[in-house]
Amino acid sequence: MLTLMTAGASSPQLRDWQIHWQPALIEVLRELNRPNVPVTQWPQSAHWDWRRKMAQVAGLLAYRGFSVTCAGVTQGLMQIDLNRLAYIPVQKGKPLVYVEYLEVAPWNRPDLGQAVRYRGVGTALLVAAVALSQEEGFRGRIGLHSLPQADGFYRDRCGMTDLGPDPGYQNLRYFEMTPDQAAAFLGGENGQ
Amino acid sequence: MKFERSKAWWLNKVRGEQDAFVGAGLLARDLAPDEAGHDAAAAPEAAAGEEMRLAFGRFVSLIRRQRGLTVEQLAARADLDLAELVSIEEDLCFQPEPRTIYQLASTFDVPQQALMQLAGLAVVRDTALPQEAVRFAARSETTQKLSREEKAALDAFLAVLSQQGPKHRS
Repeated sequence: MLTLMTAGASSPQLRDWQIHWQPALIEVLRELNRPNVPVTQWPQSAHWDWRRKMAQVAGLLAYRGFSVTCAGVTQGLMQIDLNRLAYIPVQKGKPLVYVEYLEVAPWNRPDLGQAVRYRGVGTALLVAAVALSQEEGFRGRIGLHSLPQADGFYRDRCGMTDLGPDPGYQNLRYFEMTPDQAAAFLGGENGQ
Repeated sequence: MKFERSKAWWLNKVRGEQDAFVGAGLLARDLAPDEAGHDAAAAPEAAAGEEMRLAFGRFVSLIRRQRGLTVEQLAARADLDLAELVSIEEDLCFQPEPRTIYQLASTFDVPQQALMQLAGLAVVRDTALPQEAVRFAARSETTQKLSREEKAALDAFLAVLSQQGPKHRS
């Protein structure tokens, strides 16, 4: 189930992040903290604090949080910013939905060498971002800075345009989706 | 937000993810709310936000009248809800939807980002904008006819907004 996320101590998503995600992540880090495992293989978002991320934008309607819930527990989190403009020449200066942060629960990450509990959580959140872009009149345009382990997913599986490393963003690769790419991504059935 | 697809569509999407890792976002440490500079609970910023929204309402009202539009005509032209437009112009506490800002920026051909900041939907990046917004609000009245002084205030504020970023392009 896809839901809008709220900030504050009463947020069920942030409670899940603290009660379920953090212990699972600590367990993963304990496993990875061995001499033969390079730090580059550690989860890149391990230090993210979603309470702070949400508190920073609480009350600002240009920022929204989304979550995917399954079996009563939050499986993925996303924060988006509606205040950004596109970079690639064909849509430069046009508004888009910028995915500020996207993270799936530690037990749903295939890169941590464990059996994945729920697949498709990241895809569901990205679908939500594109659908929101269409609803806001941005025609499906989205943008994001990819975590290095996810570059291939956005480029090859989502069909997004890779604008290369962004020196202003720790050299993370910046990806954008055009309206045509969005239509293809959401295509099938009644989605054109 | 409405988005409906069949179970088969979703299963196909999930299969497409395969064993890929999915994640996005800056890796820098998270700033505390007070460090980030836009904690909504901060009283001085709430007051500043109120002043900005006052200026936003005045701005919409004046530029609408400058273009010779009634509220109904602007609602029709910008494809906006009439009640929302009335709230923007008259209700200091009203926060419009981002889509509304997008439509207004498009209709009036002003920078969307500056309008977002003015409406309190985005963090103010230019420290001069709140001062200019207050000055503009003080110089304008919501009377029926645009006076010479109001026209001068509107022109000056439009110039400030134009410096905030590229104009909206649809």
